[in-house]
Amino acid sequence: MFVFSLKQPLFARIRNEFPDDAQRLADETWRATLLIDRLGLETTTAFIKSREEIIRRQQQELLEISTPVVRLWEGILALPLIGTLDSSRMQIVMQNLLEAIVSQSATIAIIDITGVPTVDTLAAQHLLKTVAAARLMGADCIISGIRPQIAQTIIHLGVDLTAVITKATLADAFQIALRRLQNKTVTLKNTESV
Amino acid sequence: MERIPILKLGEFLLVSIQVDMHDQLAISLQDDLTAKIVATSAKGVLIDISALDIVDSFIGRMLGNIAGMSRILDAETVVVGMQPSVAITLVELGLSLPGIRTAFNIDRGMDLLRDSVAERQENQRVLNEPD
Repeated sequence: MFVFSLKQPLFARIRNEFPDDAQRLADETWRATLLIDRLGLETTTAFIKSREEIIRRQQQELLEISTPVVRLWEGILALPLIGTLDSSRMQIVMQNLLEAIVSQSATIAIIDITGVPTVDTLAAQHLLKTVAAARLMGADCIISGIRPQIAQTIIHLGVDLTAVITKATLADAFQIALRRLQNKTVTLKNTESV
Repeated sequence: MERIPILKLGEFLLVSIQVDMHDQLAISLQDDLTAKIVATSAKGVLIDISALDIVDSFIGRMLGNIAGMSRILDAETVVVGMQPSVAITLVELGLSLPGIRTAFNIDRGMDLLRDSVAERQENQRVLNEPD
């Protein structure tokens, strides 16, 4: 800390001021030390505070940019998740997804977990919650991008994903989503022509 | 006493909840709806909750019960227009309403009902056909 580099010149100055008064010299040195220590403490606190502020801001930004909701097709949303799935992130993911379903009136949402390194029971539970909430709003969810290791962990953990459509890749999920939409439009057209 | 109106729409019933649900209202809705299904022999029920901002566990359970009762009375229930906050609340309460079909809006709910009714009629026809 640059504040403590004041000590040397200050002490030298004090020594020069009182060359023959030992008591005074000791007193002044002690006072100067106290002052500099306090200064050092202040600067350290300010430094830490500003650094924490930066960390917090970056964390927030990371949270926001790491949960995008992408529109793939009319009525199809994709949610590429990257990084660890903790509670607070999944909360934001769920909110974003549900809001996007409303604003784009989507019928199918694909949650892609290719970029998720590990899935624990908590994350799996959150995923299931998100799927259930989307279903309540009338949108089907497909979970895609499940890597072999993650499939193994999910089964070893005893998490039941049978209620959810799962696909190995985003392409497969997109294909099935498109087919579903197509079925719907085809049946609509048929009823119109009849 | 205020009541929630139940409108007949072809062979379906439309329930649009526009006010804050409280317990008594939910119970009277349950009574009215079951009576109306029997009276009109409706094939489907659409419950529009797009104006509902707050649900508690009782209302959530009530929705599930209404769906179950309608199914017994041979009418399919579709809940439409659920708000994100309501969906999150229900899921957090552990009420993911597995027996209820859902749709984004009335339009899609109607399509869903029509499809399922057509499918049921088809099944009925196949069953009745002497082969």
